[in-house]
Amino acid sequence: MDLKLDPDDLNTCVQCGLCLPHCPTFRVTGDEAMSPRGRIQLMREVQDNDAPVDDDVLRSFASCVQCRGCEPACPSSVPYGHLMERTRETLADAKLMTPGWQRLAFLPLANPKLLQAGSAALAVANKLHLVPKRLGLPEEIRVDQKPIIASGDDVYFFTGCVMDAWQREVHHAGVRNLEAAGFGVTPTNELAPCCGALQAHAGLAGQTRTLAEQMMGNLSVDTRPIVVDSAGCGAAMKDYGHLLGTPEAKAFSERVFDIQEFLALHLEKLPAVSALDVRVAVQDPCHLRHVQRVHEATRTVLRPFVRELVELDDDGLCCGAGGAYSVLEPELAGDIRDRKVAAIDQVTPDLVASANPGCAMHLAGAGVPTIHPMEIVDRALRGI
Amino acid sequence: MARSALKSLQSLKDLAGRASRSGGRPADETASDPLIGELRAALSPDRVRSDGAQKALMKKDASVFEGGVSGPLCYPESTAEVQAIMKLAEKYDRGVVPRGAGTGLAGGAIPLGAPIVIAATKMNHILEVDLDNRIAWVEPGVINLDLTKHLAPMGFHFAPDPSSQQVCTIGGNVANNSGGPHCLAYGVTNAHVVALEVVLPSGEVTVLGGLDAEPLGYDLRGAFVGSEGTLGFTTKVAVTITPNAPDVRTLLLSFDTVRDAANTVSAIIAAGIVPAALEVMDQRITQAVEAYVGAGYPTDAGAVLLAEVDGLADGIKIDAERIGDIGRQHGATNVRQAETDHERALLWKGRKTAFGAIAQIAPDYYLHDTVVPRSKLADVLEQIYEIADRHDVLVMNVFHAGDGNLHPLLVFDGREEGKLDAVHAAGAEIVTASVAAGGVLSGEHGIGVEKQAYMDLMFTDDDMDHQARLRRAFDPVCRANPGKVLPMGHSCADIAALRSVPADVWG
Ligand SMILES: Cc1cc2nc3c(=O)[nH]c(=O)nc-3n(C[C@H](O)[C@H](O)[C@H](O)COP(=O)(O)OP(=O)(O)OC[C@H]3O[C@@H](n4cnc5c(N)ncnc54)[C@H](O)[C@@H]3O)c2cc1C
Ligand code: SF4
Ligand code: SF4
Repeated sequence: MDLKLDPDDLNTCVQCGLCLPHCPTFRVTGDEAMSPRGRIQLMREVQDNDAPVDDDVLRSFASCVQCRGCEPACPSSVPYGHLMERTRETLADAKLMTPGWQRLAFLPLANPKLLQAGSAALAVANKLHLVPKRLGLPEEIRVDQKPIIASGDDVYFFTGCVMDAWQREVHHAGVRNLEAAGFGVTPTNELAPCCGALQAHAGLAGQTRTLAEQMMGNLSVDTRPIVVDSAGCGAAMKDYGHLLGTPEAKAFSERVFDIQEFLALHLEKLPAVSALDVRVAVQDPCHLRHVQRVHEATRTVLRPFVRELVELDDDGLCCGAGGAYSVLEPELAGDIRDRKVAAIDQVTPDLVASANPGCAMHLAGAGVPTIHPMEIVDRALRGI
Repeated sequence: MARSALKSLQSLKDLAGRASRSGGRPADETASDPLIGELRAALSPDRVRSDGAQKALMKKDASVFEGGVSGPLCYPESTAEVQAIMKLAEKYDRGVVPRGAGTGLAGGAIPLGAPIVIAATKMNHILEVDLDNRIAWVEPGVINLDLTKHLAPMGFHFAPDPSSQQVCTIGGNVANNSGGPHCLAYGVTNAHVVALEVVLPSGEVTVLGGLDAEPLGYDLRGAFVGSEGTLGFTTKVAVTITPNAPDVRTLLLSFDTVRDAANTVSAIIAAGIVPAALEVMDQRITQAVEAYVGAGYPTDAGAVLLAEVDGLADGIKIDAERIGDIGRQHGATNVRQAETDHERALLWKGRKTAFGAIAQIAPDYYLHDTVVPRSKLADVLEQIYEIADRHDVLVMNVFHAGDGNLHPLLVFDGREEGKLDAVHAAGAEIVTASVAAGGVLSGEHGIGVEKQAYMDLMFTDDDMDHQARLRRAFDPVCRANPGKVLPMGHSCADIAALRSVPADVWG
């Protein structure tokens, strides 16, 4: 069937295999069908040779974390992420992927009220220990947290969906840091309820386009930078230019900054304080490292505020969180996480800094002491 | 699709023709197939696969060749399991194809005649590191660079460093006797393998070579290294580990012409310097690489030479200066030394991803691999450019200059009418020219299916007969990697004359 992939994009893969070791699913299975090269080859078999889209082919596509670790490893610059998103979109449209219950599950993300209600229910379920521990939900999901109040109009601060509901304390830390650097902050709240990243990963790019257009409409009254503290959301918003293909969307994407990226550019504006006495390992979220490629900024921003920064020796291999992946593919996600945990154990950190809520929750589920880099900076700045 | 056009390759057509004449079993191997049932009982159901997707993927490695449809694909985890597979192959009269990471460039790992594929990727443990004797025992699926990374804290590394080292397996390195940029000073894989545990095609397990400096008897280890999977499947490898050099310097020399660079290489070796690596890239490949890594390669130079010396700091300082001087005497327009580890790593990243980076220029490539005497490098290179021009094919050159190991890369778009034929015609002339200059067929990528047709350029019938007899001593019916290396006439009655299934069958 026609997967609607650009033949030129598909043809850039020369089958060299250099991406294989950077692929988490290949690493834990050794299975070519679970490698980038294998997935691209199957896309070709389906699109060019009309191979049937059978269960095994679907399995290959569905098992991809969409971490895009294969992209920086690829000397031919194969646009793998876009190929996989388009593949999933075509297959979801044909009702071959992303069953109805999954589609329903994404609806609340774009609707703050629904999300609040769902989160409240989840909070209760979690308290009653009805939620599997491996999901790594925070011990206590606090749904009625202190709202973020606008402090000025230098930058927008993207609040988003799940993170705003479950990890608003990270948002507060990020906002305080921006304010400490002298920026007046406007939270986006209902102006931008959701970035649409999870939907795009699931092949529901139509929903993402709608959300993107809504957000662009609301935030394009001026040209302020839009600062994002979730690596996955930032990556999705930086991709609106590609997703919508319009000059406006491209201009919008250029206004989007990861919060570490943004503060690294304004580091000298943050007050000098004494460093926290901790040894911190940096865990690079894939969408910060492989997609946005601004992971160095995390180090730049953290360095003045901690005693010691240590690196993991795993070339930024994915942790297995992958947005909804850890819920949909628990077994693979667990095996992938085991590798990450082993790499973390090797460097014996006090804390592991992760700039993505999904990774943090997934790793916390394995007992890793995760914290958002912004919370570290915030604690140092406030001396707590 | 561009790559499927490559199916048209003549030699494979011949093979397929021969095989289908002999009749074969239908592609449709359902789970009720007794062979699959027995394989699953011997391994585990999830480690024996025969679905269409898997088989489609097994058709390919990193070469331009596309094999037929494979038989069942097995992921053993132990020697005993490999042994069980081999015994079942015998019982059901099937061939077996060992497969590592599938980065081979000569089609060694692709299936001909519906064989059982034995993938080494789940046998990926480093079993033992013996620092006193400088030996490591590893399983065949261990990735080359993973071994070096594992050894790094101990101050050691595994010396053979193919450009594909981040992904290729030790088993594949052994089978292809692979080399790499740093094999100039340290020697190729053969120099770093002391012993091998092997499952022979009969199912017997044996150890070739040994840890003693002078093992008794014939050096069968040496016969196995480079045998491209045609003598059996290696299940454990004892490799020597090499201490990291105390210091290293990396130089980048720019030239106006490839000839100047090649002459510099000869002069450096003639001066008695033994660099760790001497790599040349011509302008086209340098431009492609620079577009990918941005390592600061000069895109206006006609050729660049990457030279590395390692050893004690004082000694290599002098060597580095001498290399710079020799370069300038031979027309180097610029000599630069990497100042930091980061700069050095970037330069090497550029070199090692050169083959992939060409996709920035065209979607397909055919990488050749021949060796010529160092003194003939410049002449043969000029012939290569001339041959490619005549066939209207773009050629780029990146090569292990110190060894005279050429890697002419023919870059093309297989979708263009008639292009593939031109590529093959040019390739044949390049190989012939290299051998005529006193060179050999393959430097390090092996013969596989790629160079079979050229074997008679190098070897007499007598030579090939001896090779076939060696093979038969290990494998009387040519069960292991049937249809590879030796031209068909010379190998045994290849396993049921290569049973086959139509190449376009899914499943
Ligand atoms: C980008 C790129 C760069 C490369 N650079 C170099 C280079 O610098 N130098 C070089 O020498 N090569 C190079 N190669 C070629 C290739 O990487 C090497 O030949 C490598 O050793 C193959 O290893 P593999 O694990 O991928 O083996 P595969 O391709 O899977 O198999 C290769 C051969 O080994 C056999 N085999 C595999 N495992 C076993 C086993 N356990 N027992 C018995 N036989 C086995 C297979 O049957 C096959 O014949 C390069 C390839 C690419 C794509
Ligand atoms: S996106 Fe991640 S999981 Fe998917 S193929 Fe690439 S590296 Fe593998
Ligand atoms: S995606 Fe890139 S790195 Fe992977 S096989 Fe294709 S060309 Fe090579």
